[in-house]
Amino acid sequence: MKAAESGRREWGLAELVSRYGIVISFLVLFLILSFLSNNFLTSNNLVNVLRQVSINGVLAVGMTFVILTAGIDLSIGSILALAGAVAASLVTGGDAQPAVFAVIAGVLVGTACGVINGGLIAYFSVPPFVATLGLLSVARGATLLYSGGRPIPNLSPEFRWLGQGAVLGIPVPVIIFAIVFAIAYVTLRYSVYGRRVYAVGGNPRSAKTSGINTRGIVFSVYALMGGLAGLAGVMLTARTTSALPQAGIGYELDAIAAVVIGGTSLTGGIGRITYTLVGVLIIGMISNGLDLMGVSSYYQQIIKGSIIVLAVLIDRSKDRGEL
Amino acid sequence: MISSETPLNDVGTMGAAPLLLSADAVSKTFNKVAALIDGRIRLRAGTVNALCGGNGAGKSTFLNILMGLYRRDAGVIEIKGSEVEFASPAEALAGGVAIITQELSPFLDMTVAENLYLGREQRRSRLFVDDRKMITDAEELLARLKFPLPPTARLRDLSVAQAQLVEIAKAISRQSEILIMDEPTSAIGERETQILFDAIRNLTAQGVGIIYVSHRLTEIFEIADDYTVFRDGRHVDSGSIKDIDRLGLIRSIVGRDLLEHRRRPKADGKAEPVIEVKGFSRRGKFEGIDLTLHKGEILGLYGLLGSGRSEFVNSLYGTEPRDSGEIRLDGRPAQLKTPADSIRAGIALVTEDRKQTGLSLTASVAHNVTVANLPHYTRVGFLDERAERRSVADQVKRFSIKVASFDQAVQKLSGGNQQKVVLARCLDPKPRILICDEPTRGVDEGAKREIYAFLSAFVAEGNSVLMISSEVPEILGNSDRIIVFRRGRIAGEVIGGEATQEMLVHLAS
Amino acid sequence: MRVNRRLMLQAAGVAVALPMLIATAASAAPLRIAAIVQSLNTEYNVLWADAAKEHPALADGTATLTILDGRQDVLTQSNLFDTAITEKYDAIIFIPVDIDAGNEPLERARKAGIPVFGSNTVVSKTELYDAYINSNDVEAGEMLAKAVIDKAGDDAKIVILEGMIGQSAQVQRFQGIQNVLAGKPNVTVLGQNTANWSRAEAITLMENFLTANGDQIKGVLAENDEMAVGAIEGIRNYGLAPGSVPVAGVDGIKDALEAVKRGDQLMSILQDAKGQSQGAIDLALNKLIDGYKPRAAVWDANGGSLAWNEGKEQHYYVPWLAVTSANVDHVLSAH
Repeated sequence: MKAAESGRREWGLAELVSRYGIVISFLVLFLILSFLSNNFLTSNNLVNVLRQVSINGVLAVGMTFVILTAGIDLSIGSILALAGAVAASLVTGGDAQPAVFAVIAGVLVGTACGVINGGLIAYFSVPPFVATLGLLSVARGATLLYSGGRPIPNLSPEFRWLGQGAVLGIPVPVIIFAIVFAIAYVTLRYSVYGRRVYAVGGNPRSAKTSGINTRGIVFSVYALMGGLAGLAGVMLTARTTSALPQAGIGYELDAIAAVVIGGTSLTGGIGRITYTLVGVLIIGMISNGLDLMGVSSYYQQIIKGSIIVLAVLIDRSKDRGEL
Repeated sequence: MISSETPLNDVGTMGAAPLLLSADAVSKTFNKVAALIDGRIRLRAGTVNALCGGNGAGKSTFLNILMGLYRRDAGVIEIKGSEVEFASPAEALAGGVAIITQELSPFLDMTVAENLYLGREQRRSRLFVDDRKMITDAEELLARLKFPLPPTARLRDLSVAQAQLVEIAKAISRQSEILIMDEPTSAIGERETQILFDAIRNLTAQGVGIIYVSHRLTEIFEIADDYTVFRDGRHVDSGSIKDIDRLGLIRSIVGRDLLEHRRRPKADGKAEPVIEVKGFSRRGKFEGIDLTLHKGEILGLYGLLGSGRSEFVNSLYGTEPRDSGEIRLDGRPAQLKTPADSIRAGIALVTEDRKQTGLSLTASVAHNVTVANLPHYTRVGFLDERAERRSVADQVKRFSIKVASFDQAVQKLSGGNQQKVVLARCLDPKPRILICDEPTRGVDEGAKREIYAFLSAFVAEGNSVLMISSEVPEILGNSDRIIVFRRGRIAGEVIGGEATQEMLVHLAS
Repeated sequence: MRVNRRLMLQAAGVAVALPMLIATAASAAPLRIAAIVQSLNTEYNVLWADAAKEHPALADGTATLTILDGRQDVLTQSNLFDTAITEKYDAIIFIPVDIDAGNEPLERARKAGIPVFGSNTVVSKTELYDAYINSNDVEAGEMLAKAVIDKAGDDAKIVILEGMIGQSAQVQRFQGIQNVLAGKPNVTVLGQNTANWSRAEAITLMENFLTANGDQIKGVLAENDEMAVGAIEGIRNYGLAPGSVPVAGVDGIKDALEAVKRGDQLMSILQDAKGQSQGAIDLALNKLIDGYKPRAAVWDANGGSLAWNEGKEQHYYVPWLAVTSANVDHVLSAH
């Protein structure tokens, strides 16, 4: 009886590390940065970090859905740029439309791109890597064509508020991210749709046998990802005050990194969106903290990569026995 | 038969042939949980020793220790009289121990010869592969083993059993004298099993010792010379197979008396038809299938692997397409195009392979159980988790699934419990027609009995079951009627109570 | 007025010369020029290409111009050289992505007998060019640093936003900044890091610089305008008034000029895209056609400030134009 109890306690600690490893990594990193930099732990800076991560956050939310179905979307950086350009073109110059039209247009353009990805992947069985790699190039080209390779400046103040404004001291991009995250959290955790996303990722054949429209689910996650990339494009454009044709290059990697740091399995079926949030914050915190400490960008890249791998290592230590 | 207290050396006819392998008091503990307490075995040259036991009996742990995957905590393992402790599968291979596992991993686009000599290719001028020498060597080896395989065939073109022969030949070519076969027949049909058994007989004739693990008692009595039984991590029984009968072995494995299962067939076949299938065809798979399933009936489908029976039920359920055919439910024409249609119509399918198609292994028990019936647990589009968990609790109790918690990942469960989760999922939407494709594959004897009992109870409530099984005793023991498939067509129908093994095998082949 | 009249005279001269030119050109197909640019993703390259396409020699059929997009990648550019060589272009104008990686493909073109002319950014082995025309990035760095320090004081604390490390514009502009700082020992550099020419990255970097150093920062040197505009956003986000911290950048992109007009940005240094692109085409045609008369407005022969000197020089510097509140309206109206 005694042995069993002590055994249980030890198992409890192992369970704690394996279950919350990434959260522990986050807290440790947070403490280290607070200790090393005087300015890290200030409300201003923490708000900064949140604002800086909000765009990657929106992308990572969508990427979580995609990766849960064992997919990948490499095209989001290009979708983001295209959606940003289309949105900006509606609110530039003299005949600026209301900002809400631009937001809707951006999200629609993004969703349309996502629909192309999802259609190819779900209904024509093109591997996600290939389909989205194709759109990565196509959407970037479309952006350049649409904008003539030049920035679209002079955006209406109403539109710029989406990137620069604040409500009660909370920056608007942070509010947008919070809303997106909350909806995604409830969807994955409590909705039938969310459960089906997990089921399709865990074992598509089993999901099909269980009467789930697996193609429909796969299609929908790419459409959703596209829509969120469009929203992120609107946010980025509002923040940089111009739609830049080269915006968003490489953003897919940060979004994927955040999701993977959060412990979501690239083979699908396992993962939590709350941990994606932790992953997003870890990435944002690293850049911010290193900038604050005046670390040169050469070292920053090394440190960033190492911390990402280290965080995931801690998270995966539980599985080592099974390999 | 002897009890575990008796020293193993004196066992029955053992001792006639030289001992290849002996293991005593082998134990292993993970995280303070004892997986193996007292593992023992005696393997003589030129014999087959069947290692039996339910899931969780410690067989896998024991085999993994033999193969060098785990280190034992205590105990002695000797090969030909000298003690060994393998630190890796490579060392075990070098020590003459090879394993043929359930999941083969051959290189499908390489030839038999290339697979045989992968990693130790015959070379010319050190750099180049000497294909000709490799092929003649392979030919020689296969001829010596009497394996009917062409060395230049690509693995992709071989059957599962033939691929297993390649694995076996590979082990023999590495001078392995001890061969462990873990459920070698779980993926192959009757005829191929005979190919495998012929190969095993050839090997034992050449002095190889084989540890044979299988849940299929029929096979054990056909091929094994000796048996060894583990239960709850301990060696409980061993002896010569000719000194024990089927019931005695079951008793030893389960630890209590179990009668040979034989369900009493329903007396009258007059019940109303629930589902009628007419003219089902799918090109190259099956053709012109007509059958009727009645209320309160278990209808068995028997046939060799590739006879079209699994393809037929998958088409019926909607997971695979069909070219033609009509379905009538309760006498009315029905359109069943997708699994969702079938589920709505009250049909559930327990698929053939729980890992490939049955379960989401990484998901929790609860999520697996309810996945086919999610809309049932919603309130305004969101899941009512309390209602869901109540239902999961009911199902877990109904099938007595042993779980640590409902949130446990299904992959951590034993095979029998996994299969019960599949059943629970299929039953969650409360179907009235259950299609089971090999419902007890890889499940231990105790769990099998529970599944049979469930099926009996299920039809007793006025539901119906369509059951596929390759295990003749299983299909004979459970079915009211049996339809036999041969090469995509129905070869005949027999009444459950009157059928014999010979009748089924005759119709099927 | 005088300028205009001269232009008109020039135009008249062209009109007279035109039939002659066509006569010479008609004897052979038009000269084919390939321009291998860095990336049509960047505003400056687009401006450069647009200006190049308006060169008068293209309109009259003397030459054709094909723009090949290097997509910000040294390998792509190298491949484009192979294409240009196989297609037997008469001349190549080259804006390399990388200062060193550009040497090798350039040598290949020369071996194939195709003259290569530099424009904007240059490779390290400038002797490989038949001729090249660019603006002096070291000079731009010097102008940048001087303007900010003049405004902020000789003991100012400043931050530097760098371009993509290793690219020639970054290397040389930073060299210019260092040249000035060497003479101002009391200036303190509080932070220095790359924002990869990107506005979005510059916003984040500037916010973090401000968080670390607060309002001690009295000046921002941005190695391009994208980053300067980003820095201004960062300053605004931090809660300081734009314009309260002097920011200077290089390139003269539209957003930066507007910022100068609003008083948010101290100075933008305008790179003369038209002068560089059309000048390079003139240098190429000068090599291909005997007795060629340059047509670009940048040359003194056509009223510009750059001495043509019969096209004998190997290296021409197009002067920078410092745009401040004093001349921004004039520049914007011409943009």
